[in-house]
Amino acid sequence: MAAIAKALNILAVLAISGVLLFAFYWQLVRGELPCPLCLVQRLGLIGAGLGFALNVRFGSSESHYGVVIISALVGGAAATRQILLHILPDTGSYGSALYGWHFYTWALVAFVAIAAFAGLLLFIEAQFVEGTHDLRPSVVTQAVGWLFVAVALANAVSTLLECGFGACPDNPTEYELLRK
Amino acid sequence: MMALPFVVLVIAALVPMLGFRKTSVIVWAVAMAVTLWVLWSHATTPLKIVL
Repeated sequence: MAAIAKALNILAVLAISGVLLFAFYWQLVRGELPCPLCLVQRLGLIGAGLGFALNVRFGSSESHYGVVIISALVGGAAATRQILLHILPDTGSYGSALYGWHFYTWALVAFVAIAAFAGLLLFIEAQFVEGTHDLRPSVVTQAVGWLFVAVALANAVSTLLECGFGACPDNPTEYELLRK
Repeated sequence: MMALPFVVLVIAALVPMLGFRKTSVIVWAVAMAVTLWVLWSHATTPLKIVL
């Protein structure tokens, strides 16, 4: 069962990295810059991914799942606020929709799903038994970890280019540090 | 300031690869605190609905 928990944690890191990469695709190819609340949602995703990545690297721990759930709560709070900003008719929206829902709505669904997934994984008690995790990181563990670091780093660089060293505008239209 | 929590989270993601587990959790906690502060500072527009 510990091996299943580790596999599911790897899957979660890959899924969260995939979501962040898809957001990047939308940002770079479709030219839609993320708003400040969108960026907070990305932070929540990275935080949740970090918790799963810690489980993969060091073995499962309750505190790692705590990292996942609290990050999901923070990201979910940002997504909820953005939904409430646009929930009434004639209050507009931010960005384009995907399958009928805006990205912040999908983000809230994702955060609820992540928290629920972490809650379910906590039921696998065999993963918390000492000695069930090989402390020498395997090639897969290393690869997943470095992929996640790369995605987090890319988000940091992108946000720095977009917002500069100050606060981000509510409706960003250009990269602050690339402005001529 | 928006980029600050991202930079802190990158550090939190990087240190486990170097073998530091507890440091990563502590840096993550700092990043989440900064994130909450950023969220709070951007939540200036009052919602038009009454819950």
